[in-house]
Amino acid sequence: MKMLFTLIKLQLNINFGISALKYRFRKEKTRLWEPVLVGLGIFVGIGSITLMMTMLMLGIFIAGKSVNHPEMVLTIAFVGGPFVVLIFGLFYIISAFYFSKDMDILIPLPLKPHEILGSKLAVVMVNEYLTLIPVIIPAILVYGIGTGQGFIYWLKSLILLVLSPVIPLAIGALIVVVLMRLINVRKSKDFFAVVGGFLSLLFGLGINFFAQRIPKGHEAEFFKQYLGQAGLIEHLGQKYPPSIWATYGLSLHNMKGNLDFLLYIAVSALLLLALVWIGNRFFYASILSGQEVTRKRRVLSADEMERSYRKESSPLMALLSREWKLLLRTPVYALNGLAGIIIGPFMVIMMFTAQREQREELFKLINNPEYIVPVSLGGLAFMLFTSGMNIVASTSISREGKSFWISKMIPAAASQQVMAKFLNSFLISAFGTIITGIVLVGFLNFAIWRTLVLIGIGLLGAGLIVCLNLMIDVLRPKLEWTNPQEAVKQNLNGFLGVLVSLLVIGILTGVSVAFIITKLPEWIIYLLLALIIAVLLIPSLWGLIKLSEWKYKNIEV
Amino acid sequence: MINIKNLSKSYNKGAVKAVDNLNLQVKPGEIFGFLGPNGAGKTTTIKMVIGLLSADEGSITVNGFDTRKQSLEAKQSIGYVPDNPDVYERLTGLEYLNFMGDVYRVPAEVRKERIQYFTEMFDLNHAVSDLIKSYSHGMRQKIVLTGALIHDPALWVLDEPLVGLDPKSAHQLKELMRAHCDKGNSVFFSTHVLEVAEKLCDRIGIIHRGKLVAIGTLEELRKGDQVDTLESIFLELTEK
Ligand SMILES: Nc1ncnc2c1ncn2[C@@H]1O[C@H](COP(=O)(O)OP(=O)(O)OP(=O)(O)O)[C@@H](O)[C@H]1O
Ligand SMILES: [Mg+2]
Repeated sequence: MKMLFTLIKLQLNINFGISALKYRFRKEKTRLWEPVLVGLGIFVGIGSITLMMTMLMLGIFIAGKSVNHPEMVLTIAFVGGPFVVLIFGLFYIISAFYFSKDMDILIPLPLKPHEILGSKLAVVMVNEYLTLIPVIIPAILVYGIGTGQGFIYWLKSLILLVLSPVIPLAIGALIVVVLMRLINVRKSKDFFAVVGGFLSLLFGLGINFFAQRIPKGHEAEFFKQYLGQAGLIEHLGQKYPPSIWATYGLSLHNMKGNLDFLLYIAVSALLLLALVWIGNRFFYASILSGQEVTRKRRVLSADEMERSYRKESSPLMALLSREWKLLLRTPVYALNGLAGIIIGPFMVIMMFTAQREQREELFKLINNPEYIVPVSLGGLAFMLFTSGMNIVASTSISREGKSFWISKMIPAAASQQVMAKFLNSFLISAFGTIITGIVLVGFLNFAIWRTLVLIGIGLLGAGLIVCLNLMIDVLRPKLEWTNPQEAVKQNLNGFLGVLVSLLVIGILTGVSVAFIITKLPEWIIYLLLALIIAVLLIPSLWGLIKLSEWKYKNIEV
Repeated sequence: MINIKNLSKSYNKGAVKAVDNLNLQVKPGEIFGFLGPNGAGKTTTIKMVIGLLSADEGSITVNGFDTRKQSLEAKQSIGYVPDNPDVYERLTGLEYLNFMGDVYRVPAEVRKERIQYFTEMFDLNHAVSDLIKSYSHGMRQKIVLTGALIHDPALWVLDEPLVGLDPKSAHQLKELMRAHCDKGNSVFFSTHVLEVAEKLCDRIGIIHRGKLVAIGTLEELRKGDQVDTLESIFLELTEK
C-alpha cells in the first residue's frame, strides 16, 4: 500500500511537473515569472469556465423551476459532466497506458502490476476531477442554495462528486479496449493521434458554435423553450440512467431518493471493480508488448539509391525540408501547426451557415456598397487571424529539443537556419491565408480582384506575424523536453506568439477604422495598409536576423 | 589541429566549475585520448571545442580557425559525435545523411560513395530507408557517425564513441581512426576504456575536476617507470 502511494505521488509529480518547478524556483532562479504566469492563466481559465458554467446552470435552474422541475439542473450536470469525462477520459487513458514513456522505467522495478496500474489510474482520475469540477460543482451549488438544502444534501453531493468520474471512466476504458482490438493503435499511432486531435478540435469548435446560439441574457427562456417542454429528465435518463439516480438521489428526501442514491453508489463501486479488472486484464498486457514503429527493413535497390543521391540541394533548401518533414511527421506538431490554419476559414463558414434570417442580413450587408470596405477589411482580419493562430513559428526552435546540438554543430549560419524556419512557417500561414481567401470568394461572394488584393496584404501581414512569433522563440526557446507535446502544448511561447499576433491585428484594425472614418477611397486604404505592414516588416526581419546571430551563439546544449 | 588556451567554464552561475584553466594541443596526425573520472569535464571541454557551449574564458582554435570568430570555418573542419545520439527521429537514415551532405556542401557523387562505404561497413544498408525512430542505440550512433564523417573533416571529435558499439563495429571504428590520422588528420576522443587508450592513442590527457593533471605519450606518463600500467597511473592521479 505504501508502495502504491509513493508511486501515485511520483506519477502526479511527473504529470504536473512539480519537481521541475521546484528546481526552477530553488536552483535556477531564472524566469520565475513564467510558471507564475502559467499558474495565473490556469487559475483565470478555470475560474472563468466555472463562472460561465455557474451562469449557465443558473439559467437552467430558473428555467427548470418555472416548469416545476428545478432538479433538472442536476440531471444536466450529471449527464454533461460524465459526457465530458468520457470524451477526455479516452485521451487520458490512451496517453497514460499506450503512449506513456515512463513504463520502460516502471516495469523493471520490483512493483506489482496493480501498483503500477493503480498509480496510472489515479493520475487519470485526478485529471478527470479537474475537468469535472467546473461542471458539477456549480450545479450542486445552484440547486443546493436555490432550494435551501440541508446537511444531508451537501454530504450526499460530496459523495456523488467523488464518485462521478467512475462510471464514465469505466465506459471509456471499455471503449478503449474495444478500439484497441479493432485497430492496432500502436502501429498506426501517429495516424490515430492526428485523427483524434482533429476530432477533439471539431468537438471544441462545435460546442462553441452551439454556445453562440444561446441568446445572451435570455438563457433561461432559451432552455425553457429548448428543454423544458416535457419529461426532460426522463428523456435524458433513458440515455444515461445514472444521471436520474443522481438527480433523485440528491433532490428527493424519501425512500425513492435514498434508493436511487444507493443505486448510484452501488453501480459506481461495481464499475470501479470492472475498471480495475479491465486494467489488469488488458492495459497491463498491452504495456508489456512494447512500442514498435513500422519498419520496412529492406535494402534499397540500386536504382532507388541512385535517385536519392541525385537530390543534392542548397543548405537553405535542406534546412527547409528538414523543418517541413519534422513538422509533418510528428503528430502533435502537425496537429497544432495545421489546426491554426483551419480556424479562420472555419469561422467564415460558420458565419455563412448562421440561421436563415441572420444569413440574409449578412448577405445584404456584404453586398451593400456602403459597407464594402469594412466588410473586406473584416475578411482581411480573418486572414491575419489565421496566421496569428499558427504556432509553427513561435515553437520552431523549441521543437528541435535535444537534437538542437545538430543545428549548433552544422556549418550553417544562424541567420540561414532561422530563414528556413521563417519560410517554413510563412508557407503554412500563406496556405491558410489563401484558403481563407477562397472561402471568402466561395461562401460570401467577395469579388475576385478584391480578394486577390486582400490576399496580397494578408501575405504581407502573415510575414510580419511569423517574423515576430519567430523572434519570441529565438529569444526564449524551450529545448528541455522529453515528450514532443511539451514543445508545443506546454510551451508558453505559443501563447505569447498568439498574444503578439492579436496585438498586431488590433493595431491594424485601429488604423483601418481610422481610415474608414476619414472616408479614404478603398484602394488608398489597401495601399496604405500594405505600406504600413511593409514598413513594420522590414526592420522586423532585420531584427530577427540580428537576434538569431546573437542568440544562437548563446544557446547552450 | 586543436589549440586550447586557458579554457574555463562553469555551470549554474559559477557554482560548478566544470573546466578550470585548461591548456592542451592536439597535433596533426595524432589520436588524442581524453581520460578522466565521471564529471571531470570531458564532455564540457568537447562541447566547447564544437561550439555547443561558449567558454567563460580562454580560446580555442581548430585547424587554424578561431572557434568564436570563424565559427563556420571551424565547424566545417570538424566531425562530431556526441555521447548521446539524440538525432531527428522522424527522418529516415538516408534523409538524415543527405541533410548532412547538403549542409556541409558535399557533392552528390562524393556523398554517394561515402554513404555506401560507411553503411556497408556498419551493416546499415538494410535500415537506411527506415525512420531513425526505429533504430537501436548502436544503430543511431553509427548513423550519427556516418553523418559526421560525410564531409571528410580533418578533425574528428568523438565523445565516448565506443560505448554501445558491437565488437566488430568498435574494431572498425578504431581502424578508421588510425587510418584517418595516418593521413595527417587528427582524432580527439574521450573514453573510459583504458586498454583502448593505451593501444590506440598517440597521446593522452587526463582531466580531473576540470584541471588537466597529466598529458603526454604513454611513455611520458610513466615517467620512465616501465611497470606502471595506464590504470595505475590513472588511479593515482585521480585519487583525491
Ligand atoms: N548542463 C549542466 N548543468 C549543470 N552542471 C553541469 C551540466 N553539464 C555538466 N555539468 C557539471 O559539469 C561537470 C563536468 O561534467 P561533464 O559532463 O563535462 O563530465 P564528463 O567528464 O564528461 O563525465 P562523464 O565521464 O560522466 O561523461 C560535472 O560536475 C557536472 O555535474
Ligand atoms: Mg561525458
